This record gives sequence, C-alpha cells and structure tokens, in this order.
Amino acid sequence: MKKPLLFISLILLFFTGCKKDSTSEIDTEYPVINIESATAFPKQCSTVKRGETFIFRAQMSDNTTLGSVSIDIHHNFDHHTHSTELATCDMETVKTPVTPFLLIQSYPIAAGLSSYEVQQEIAVPASVDPGDYHFMIRLTDKEGWQTIKGLSIKII
Amino acid sequence: MQAQNLRLSGIIKDEQGQPLKGIVIYLYPASRQATTDVKGYFVFNNLSAGAFEIQTGHESFKALQFKSELRSGNLHFPFILHRLPHQLAEVTVKDKHIASRRQEESLNVEVVTADFIQRNLGGSLMKTLERLPGIKTIGIGSGQSKPLIRGLGFNRVVVVDKGVKHEGQQWGADHGLEIDQFAAGEVELIKGAASFVYGSDAIGGAIDIEPARVPAPYTLGGSVDLIGKTNNNLYGTSVNLYGRKRDWFFDARVTYQDYGDYRVPNDKVYVYDYAVNLHNNQLRNTAGTETGLHLNTGYINDRFRSIFYLSNTYSKSGFFANAHGLEPRRVDEVLHDASSRDLLMPNQKVNHLKLINHTEYQLPGNRLEMELGYQHNFRQEFSPYVNHGYMPPVYPADLQIPASLEREFDKRVYSINLRDNISLGRHEVKLGANLERQNNDIYGWSFLVPSFKQSSTGAFVYDKYKLSETVLLHGALRYDYGQINMFAYQDWFNSTVTTDGVTAMEKLTRAEDLSRVFNSLVWSAGLNYNPAGGFSLKANVGKSFRMPIAKELAANGVNYHYFSYERGNPALSPEQSYQADLSLAWAAPGWSVQLSPFYNYFPNYIYLNPTAAHDYFYGAGNQVFQYAQSRVERYGGELQLKYQLLKNLTTEVLAEYLYAKQLSGEKKGYTLPFSPPASALFNLTWSPKLKGRFEDSYFSIDYCITAAQNNIVPPEKKTPGYQIINLQAGSKVRIHKQAVMISLQAQNLLNTRYLNHTSFYRLIELPEAGRNIVLSLKVPFNVQSQTHKQQNN
Repeated sequence: MKKPLLFISLILLFFTGCKKDSTSEIDTEYPVINIESATAFPKQCSTVKRGETFIFRAQMSDNTTLGSVSIDIHHNFDHHTHSTELATCDMETVKTPVTPFLLIQSYPIAAGLSSYEVQQEIAVPASVDPGDYHFMIRLTDKEGWQTIKGLSIKII
Repeated sequence: MQAQNLRLSGIIKDEQGQPLKGIVIYLYPASRQATTDVKGYFVFNNLSAGAFEIQTGHESFKALQFKSELRSGNLHFPFILHRLPHQLAEVTVKDKHIASRRQEESLNVEVVTADFIQRNLGGSLMKTLERLPGIKTIGIGSGQSKPLIRGLGFNRVVVVDKGVKHEGQQWGADHGLEIDQFAAGEVELIKGAASFVYGSDAIGGAIDIEPARVPAPYTLGGSVDLIGKTNNNLYGTSVNLYGRKRDWFFDARVTYQDYGDYRVPNDKVYVYDYAVNLHNNQLRNTAGTETGLHLNTGYINDRFRSIFYLSNTYSKSGFFANAHGLEPRRVDEVLHDASSRDLLMPNQKVNHLKLINHTEYQLPGNRLEMELGYQHNFRQEFSPYVNHGYMPPVYPADLQIPASLEREFDKRVYSINLRDNISLGRHEVKLGANLERQNNDIYGWSFLVPSFKQSSTGAFVYDKYKLSETVLLHGALRYDYGQINMFAYQDWFNSTVTTDGVTAMEKLTRAEDLSRVFNSLVWSAGLNYNPAGGFSLKANVGKSFRMPIAKELAANGVNYHYFSYERGNPALSPEQSYQADLSLAWAAPGWSVQLSPFYNYFPNYIYLNPTAAHDYFYGAGNQVFQYAQSRVERYGGELQLKYQLLKNLTTEVLAEYLYAKQLSGEKKGYTLPFSPPASALFNLTWSPKLKGRFEDSYFSIDYCITAAQNNIVPPEKKTPGYQIINLQAGSKVRIHKQAVMISLQAQNLLNTRYLNHTSFYRLIELPEAGRNIVLSLKVPFNVQSQTHKQQNN
C-alpha cells in the first residue's frame, strides 16, 4: 500500500518543517522590581505619614539593559482595584475622596545599566486625605518589557 | 484507431421544462467541466472515443450521474434536474461547486457551508471557522471573536457580508464581529493578500459571507433551530421563514441567544499575584445576550434580480469583573455571584444595523452587479468611573457624559460597489469600482481615538484567461484613493503640566485636526493548472495595501486596561505587502492531499511598539506604546490530508505553521504580536449507513495539538502547548414525514486547562473555556413545496 506511506511521510515532512526553531538571541525576559531587601521601601501594607518625607527605595534589574521607572501614587478609598500582591492589607471603610494625594513621576535610569537601586525622596503634603493608597511601580527594559508592581500603602 | 475531435453536448432543464443556466457539468475520466448557458446548453469538444460519465452538482438540484460511451459520432442528450427542497439541499448534495471554485481561483480559497457551521457551531461564526487550517481567532469571553488569517487580523482582514465590506470597530481585541452565524449561507475564506478585489485591509485575507440561498419558486417553508450549551448555560433559537412566488421572495430570520458566565477548569485564577476565587468555576460577569433580526426580500427572474437585505444584530456582554483589561479589580463577590446570568459592569453593548441592496442584470456576454450599503455600528462600553492618572477623584456632577459610559463609538458607513462580469471567448473579465464613506463619532469619559471621517474610492480590473483546458491565468490591477480627516479632542480634566520649572494645571489637547490622503496601486497575477489525473497546482503573486487607520495615525491616550500610553504616528505611510502563494493538491478516490505554503514580505508593517519610555505628561506615568513601521517577513503554510480508511471511515489531518519576523526597527528580530503557534488537528469520522429512520449520521473525533509559542514580542508572554479533544456527532432523523437534524458536540472533552496565545485574556493568565456540550436541533418545514404543487396539479 503506497498511499498510507505517502500520507504518513507527508505528515512527518510537515512536522519536521515546523520543528526548525529559529535560534534567536532576542530578549524575552521581563525586568525585575525587587522590594525584598530590608532597606526597600515601601513594601506591601507599608505606612507613610502626612507632612513627612520618605525614601522610595527598590532594586531594579534586568537580564540586559534597564529602560525607565515610573511611580504612581493614587487613592484607593473606593477599593476599586486590587494590588498585584499576594498579601492583603487591612483596609479602611470605603469613603469619598476630598483632597487625595496624587503623584505621578518618572525617574530616568542612566543608559546601559542592568541593575539600579532607586532612591528617591517623596514628600507627602500635610493637607492630603489620609487612608488607603496604591503605590504603583512600573519598570521597563530597553526592549519594552514592562513589570508592574501595585502595592497597597496607607497614609496616616 | 481512436476517433478524436468528438463532441458531447446536452441541454439541462428543470421539471417545468425551464432551461437551467449556471449548472456545472463534470466529465470523467477527462476531468473536464462545463457550465450551462442561459439556454441550459453545455458542450465538450475535442473528446476521444470511449466510455464516459457525466455528473452535475448544484445545491438546489438532485445530483445527476449518467454513463455512456462515445463511439464515432457526436452525442447530444437532454437532461432534467430535480429540484431539492430548500435548506435540506446542503446536506444532501456533494458540493461540487466548491471543488470547482477552488480549481478556478488562484488564491487559496476555503469554502464552508451551513452544514459545516451546524456541525462545528462555536460561540461565534469566527470561532466556528477556527477548525480550518490557517484560521484562528482573537477573542474575549465565550461569544466574541475576531478572525485571524495566517496570523493577521484586525484591520488586516476584510469581512464581506452580502457583498458589502462589514465595518465595525475592527481594531479592538475586546469585542467580536457583529455577524449572526445562523444567517450565514456559505462562507468563503481567502487566505492571503486579496486587496485587488476587496480593497484596502484585505492584506491578510478576506472572509466572504454569503446569505442563505434564494428559495425555489412556489415554495413556502422555514426551519427552527434550537441550541443549548452546557459550559455557559446558553440557550438559543433561530427561526427562519421563507417563501417565493415565481419571481418575488422573502426570507426572514430571528435569532435569540442568552448565556451565563462561562466556566474554566479552575476554581482560582491569578490576576498578577492576586488570587481570584471563582464561584462554580465561572468567570464572573461574562454572561451575555444576543439577538439577530434579518429580512431578505426581492425580485428574481432569468435576467434580473434585485434583493434587499435588512439586518440588525445586537449583543450585550460582560467583561470578567476581576480584571478590566489587565487591571486587577476587587469586586463585590456576593453581588456578582448571586446569579451567573446577570450582567453588571464592566460590560458592552454593540448594535449593528445594515441595509444592503444587491442588484444584477444579465446581458448577453456580461453581467452587471451593484451593491448599495448602509451600516450603523454603535458600541458602548460601561464601567464604573475609576480615576486614573490626573482624572479627578470624584466624577464631576456637571459633566454631561454619564459616569458609567467609559467609551462610545458611533460609526455610519455608506458604500457602493459596481461590477461588470464580461465573458469574451476565453477571457472572463471583471471590472469594478468601490466607494465608501465613513463617519465616526466618539463619546465617553475615556479617550483613545479621535472622531474622524473617511472616504475611499477604488477601481479594479481582473481577467481570467483560459489558456487551455488545463491552464487558467489570472491578472488583476487596482487603484485606490482614500482620505481621512480626524478631529481635535481636548481632555475634560486637568493634568499637571510642568514647563520650565513652573507647574500648572491644564486640559491637554489629545488630538489636533489632521488630514491625510493616501493612494495605492496594487496588482496580482496567478495561475491554475488542473491536468487530468487528480493533481492540481495553483500559484499567485501579488501586492496588497492597507490605509493606516485613525487609531494608528492619531491615538493619544492612556489605555488603562493595558497600562499603556498609546501614541499614534501621523506620518505613517500605507502599509504594503508582497505575497507569494502556492497550493499543490492531489486527489484520487479514497484520499486527497493539499499543501499550501506562502511567503509574505511587508516593507512597512504598521505596529504598536512598546518602548522603554514612560510618559508622565500625556501618558500619566504609563509606558509609551508608539506606532511604528518596520520591515517584516512571514512564511508558513497549511497541510490538509484526507484518507478513506474504510467505506464509512475517513481520517483527516489539518495542520498549520506560521513564522513571522521583524527585519528592522526597534523590535528587529522579534515576531509580530498574536502569532499563532503551530498546530495540527487529527480527525476520525465514521459515517455509517444506519438502518431505519437515520440518515447522514456521523461520529467524529478531533484531536488538536497546539505547540508552545515561545516566539514572542513585548508585551506578550510565552504560552505553553496543549492538546484538546473535541467530539461531533449528528444525524438526520425522520419522524413521520418530518426530518429533524440533530448535532451534538463535546468541545474540550477532557476539560483541559490551557491558555490560548491569541486570547485577549492571555496576558492575565485566564484559561480557556472548559468542557462544553453543545446540542443543536434543526427542524426544517415545508408548507408548500414544488413537489406538492406538482402532485396537486
């Protein structure tokens, strides 16, 4: 029987064709935001005080080259979104914002670095609403891979 | 000595003695074909003496087979074809015209019938078509998906419905195509660049949906479809009623479907690291409802036909409540889990109204065709107001936009198509022109794309030349001219702007008035070689193009669902593509093989490039995604094998492979987004002749293997491979004189947990739907049929 042979050989031909994987050197790894170290701040459920300054400290790294880092502090008084973290924090009851704290800032990372520790002073005005906030960290690498960490913090 | 140059001719009429035109006659063993003219006449010249067999295949008539022998003289036979009752036709007759369509078209064409749709009924028409090699979908939820042909989708695939290009919001991945799959008659898929017929956007392929066939004269009937699905507890019905006097007909259909939240094989999913518990394995708030209303009516005679198609499809569906886009959301689980059928926010409503007229007039040697179309696509996305970036923390009471209306797109499209089909000896020439005008308005508290008006005009000429009995040549040329005018947009809220150390609050201008003009000349050349003996070859090379869309030119807003700030590029040039297609097929009694490789090159593929930068001014701190153009190479192919193991047992293999690579730009070396991984489908079908009341019974198993997709581009994730099993079974049962068609499917039989690389929810790791049993019943009925009429006479 010639026909089944042809049939099978064609299938094989097709699949060996598929297997020819391109050996590429493209980067497919996401950069890493590390807040595990003892000095890193804030962490999930951290607390910061109004009228004071804290230092945002986190270790950024990538297998190739880092791009840029951006932070976004916004209120979570309505519990609208959840953080990206496993641990949940005690939340205050839902409330309507009056003068919530909003800070959107991006920080440059010098070109060509594969590891960088962010140390940035952030002042929390005395006049803002206390309560539950999100502290979003967005980190890119040169290729455009982005890692997001959404931390829940409290401003008291 | 063998006599040569013999002639075999005939005339084909229906039971009433009316000549039938357009009937395809197949002659064996010569493997030739002819088509009857207006007088029902057909002829085969230059035949050798010997035994022969002729066959006909037409959906509306019973198949005819006739054997005889040519000796020394020419032969002429009269034949009568018997009309089949409407609707039952597709399952009764072998669709020979599909084979002939494939042999006469140099592009890679797949044709599926309503029968295929019934057997493989998925959540949407595109999901149903996904079984075909080279076709995938980009989808969200259980009922919304967009086609992906050989890895190209969105505005790179044209969907033609009843002759007119379907216009919705093609660019979005989070809503489906506004087509009712119960109303589709036959669907033709063109894999590969087909701009020369369909204009801009057909750069990846085209899906041509034909309406149900016009009923036979003096009939009145219809059908009732009932559908039930276990995964999302869908129930639905589609009721059809049609009738025709001699020349006037109507064909009406109402479809209604309602479904609950769909189930996945997990009781917990992770949106990032945040665990979401799923109540009863259901994805919260993915329920929905769909309606379709259709009325086709018109006048038909031998030379002239004019048909109006009026349709309205409406759908309301929810998005997974724990993630709006990629953004994790805490929700009131008690409220959501109270019912799996209720729809809370976030959700979307889409309404698509369509009025089309198709008119054609047959003159000796040419056929004039015209389509006039009006479409109104209206889409709204509802979500509770969440302040992002610099938006005020409390939604302003004085803002006119409703606080729940996140986005609204209001699109009106007017189209005109004109064609003349000319037969000139061995040439079949098609001349055509298309005009389209679009008005697009936007509304809602979030902004992505400005409103715009767009007009485009195109003209083409296409020639099919019959070089010999076995060789067809194709050539086409098309010119297009398009203009797009986009309108300025200003934010309704203040952003913090720091200029030279001075911080101020101001409303940002997202888009300025912008006008662009595009033109393009494209071409195509092809060949069909169909020698006797079962082998056939087709080849095609061509250039296609696509006009940049408003989003690519003028997007300037934060897509909070993706944590991205999308920035258009007003300097984009029309995308161009060069493609070479080859298709080799062998067919013999008992088996067939088809291999269809392709190669495709884009000198300036438009794509949304995720950059390393963040923008805190316009982008509110989000990553900048910038539209850019790069050189792209793509190749791949499909393989289809069919083998008859036993009289009633067949096996089929459908496989596809695709490779894409960017050759320049910031993502040089990377693939394109949404590249489907290699996959293969192994099928075994048993079609027994059962005793008693059962006809056309089948039991069929599909074993689908999909490879891992490790070839990715930001922001994608590597997707592991998976294997799933689908079952299909069905039969036509006669109860008294009433036929009932039953189809049963088990999709994802083993309830396998897998991720689909091209699913919208892939990025947040949501698995695909679990086991789904689909039962559908079709009950056709004839109040008055031709046969009855004859008996009565």
